[in-house]
Amino acid sequence: MINIPLNRVEGDLELHLELDGDRIANSWSSGIMFRGFENILRGRAPRDGLVLTPRVCGICGTAHLLAAAKALDMLCGVIVPDNAVMTRNLTLLAEHIQSDIRHGILMFMNDFINPLYQDQPFYSEARLRYEPFRGTSVIKAIRETKKILEIIAIVGGQWPNTSFMVPGGIATTPTFNDMVGCDYIERSFTGWYEREILGCSLERWAEVTSLADLDTWLEEKPDHTQGDLGFFIRCARMTGLDRIGGGHGNFISTGLKDLQPYSTRAVEPLLMSSGFIAKGEKFEFDQALIAEHVAFSRFEGYGSGLHPFEGITIPAFDPNPDKYSWAKAPRYNDHPAETGPLAEALIDGDPLFADLVRQQGPTAFSRELARFTRPAKLLPLMKKIIRTIDPKAPYYRPVGDIPDGRAYGLIEACRGTLGHWLEVQDGAIARYQIITPTAWNGSPRDANAIRGPWEEAIIGTSVKDPDNPVELGHIIRSFDACLVCAVHFCTRK
Amino acid sequence: MAVNLYWMHCGGCGGDSMSMLNAESPNIIETIHELDINVLWHPSFSFAPPADHRRLLDALISREVGLDILCIEGAVIRGPENTGMFGIFEGKPKKNLVAQLADRAGIVIAIGTCASFGGVTGAGATDAVGLQFSKKDIGGFLGKNFRSGKGLPVINLPGCPVHPTVLMGMLTAAARGVSMDLNTYNAPLEYYSMLVHQGCTRNEYHEYRIEETDFGQKGCLFFHLGCQGPLAHAPCNKFLWNNRNCKTRSGVPCNGCTEPDFPRDDPYFYTPNIVGLPIHLPDGVNRPHYLAYKSMAAAAAPDRLKHRKTEV
Repeated sequence: MINIPLNRVEGDLELHLELDGDRIANSWSSGIMFRGFENILRGRAPRDGLVLTPRVCGICGTAHLLAAAKALDMLCGVIVPDNAVMTRNLTLLAEHIQSDIRHGILMFMNDFINPLYQDQPFYSEARLRYEPFRGTSVIKAIRETKKILEIIAIVGGQWPNTSFMVPGGIATTPTFNDMVGCDYIERSFTGWYEREILGCSLERWAEVTSLADLDTWLEEKPDHTQGDLGFFIRCARMTGLDRIGGGHGNFISTGLKDLQPYSTRAVEPLLMSSGFIAKGEKFEFDQALIAEHVAFSRFEGYGSGLHPFEGITIPAFDPNPDKYSWAKAPRYNDHPAETGPLAEALIDGDPLFADLVRQQGPTAFSRELARFTRPAKLLPLMKKIIRTIDPKAPYYRPVGDIPDGRAYGLIEACRGTLGHWLEVQDGAIARYQIITPTAWNGSPRDANAIRGPWEEAIIGTSVKDPDNPVELGHIIRSFDACLVCAVHFCTRK
Repeated sequence: MAVNLYWMHCGGCGGDSMSMLNAESPNIIETIHELDINVLWHPSFSFAPPADHRRLLDALISREVGLDILCIEGAVIRGPENTGMFGIFEGKPKKNLVAQLADRAGIVIAIGTCASFGGVTGAGATDAVGLQFSKKDIGGFLGKNFRSGKGLPVINLPGCPVHPTVLMGMLTAAARGVSMDLNTYNAPLEYYSMLVHQGCTRNEYHEYRIEETDFGQKGCLFFHLGCQGPLAHAPCNKFLWNNRNCKTRSGVPCNGCTEPDFPRDDPYFYTPNIVGLPIHLPDGVNRPHYLAYKSMAAAAAPDRLKHRKTEV
């Protein structure tokens, strides 16, 4: 048995491993920090979640704000003006792109300058590109991601941690000139992303729809191998990332919604579709099928899974060797499921990732490829939104006092499916349950003793040096782990 | 001579590290190069394997490697029952490591409100506190008598998150050995003597008591919508956020995230008031005079403000 602390994830994670020779025979993933949010929201005013839940996570606060606002919209039964829906989505997409690039360039790629790879042909170039605070790609990624976040500041005040989304729409009123600012930022960022990350235009990349296409694309021009994406593909193949990190093969995504599905007007097409995939078969997404287990989580036990509307979160203080994580275990219809850009692409029917997973299964490579290339899909959506927002039309519809009741907000955050489930009683928050993407991906075992997605994904992996388990780093980081997020908020009074 | 810096995440969300990446002129790259800062470890960006990290920690604790600047992000988790087991590293309470490293450091900087005063993490049930304050009370985790190697208390840089310009400025002061004058809560006066309200583009509306009761308008948010701008100490309207904007300018009430009692118990987006006047007046203001001034100001308000003709 060995214990490995892992950094370059948001929050604190330790892996407990049982090795058979150099292969991982069994694994336990422990979220080792508990922030105990139980008392923070309970009893507070219903809108307070708009200020406090973005502070759950420093890298995806806009996503938490959106989930919180959508839960309150639902509770109020309000039809949010189109302008507000679009502005909210615009900021969510900007946050996604920021996170995808920061994770890829600042947190994932520097595993390739691990000492283990010193003799690899890519090593010296990787070092030039990805050394923390010094690498050429690092410097550019910091400069450009900072720029795309200005869009959130322009329309929402600041990033991170604004609270500009409110039930009924948004509190701000972006002007024509604000949209001009957003337009130029998006255009400049797209130019950089095409030039430096892809090494080709968004249009050329969109033509890559199979593994064979990917190989053709890579060999087509030096620009394609020299971009960060091409460099990633070359390093990943030389280090075998396309052969490790499989997992259960279950995926979940709530898609990306143009307009809320619960609004009374006709539902417009989703920008990306929602669903659940198990063993290659796709099912419709239904939040009622989500349940959280605590059999192996450090919380007071209850039989099997509970839907978040019934969720209970009482930390278990007694040392119990079975209970090994501060994260709960969310399950969809009793299945573990991975979530994130790869799940999003598969559920949306993206042909490249469908082909990759058909031929190789899900891997550390396919997950990170999906993350690196997601901005290619999101940037055109941003442009469309920026050009469609009408600064003269309303951004807000007054809702007055928030009524009692239950509601939820479900969205795709950068790392995957995020849900807030809210109950208001006598004008105050009685229960607030959050299920984050990393709660899905990094969950411990459930009541049926089934491993969580990344616990499963590392089984069978060969670890050459337990003091330097870079193989595990690749796999866990391909899930873009964010342990600070895997928290639970509020119990029954 | 390189300046050694070690960055540690405790009970927080990592938002201050993300905010750090947004610094502009100087940005984080320029700051590190100009000051010759040697980032021994940053949990979000360092690539050394776990065993190398352990050796580094041993070398810091044995003083074999000098520690000039210790940056701590997040509150120190002490629970349950003072065991610290709600937040661990290598199976042991992380708070022990905080104490060991703080003892070795030339200067200790609390990055953000959680590390300074407890903040959002401190509002939870894990007995989490700031490094040298617990909300407004001095003491915190290290105790009121703590002094770093250079004889300084913990320097607090509150904010949820910390403003990146404040962070770059303080790193520069620390690396060059410039002493900063501090306020009651050991935060540099240069950044924390001003109020969020100063420089807000809605100030003229505030001046003539054009106060809004709902979102989406151009007037001031202080009287009814819970804005803490005239009470919160921070340079948000001087430096702005992301070089562009800030919450109050865009119409989002300030929630006072730099204050020692953040998050307060009062509801957000709502101002407790007596006969239409906020209970908590701007910092240091005399109530009867403020009442008289506001009545006269409202009477003097020009139509262009009353009719929200002036853009903000």
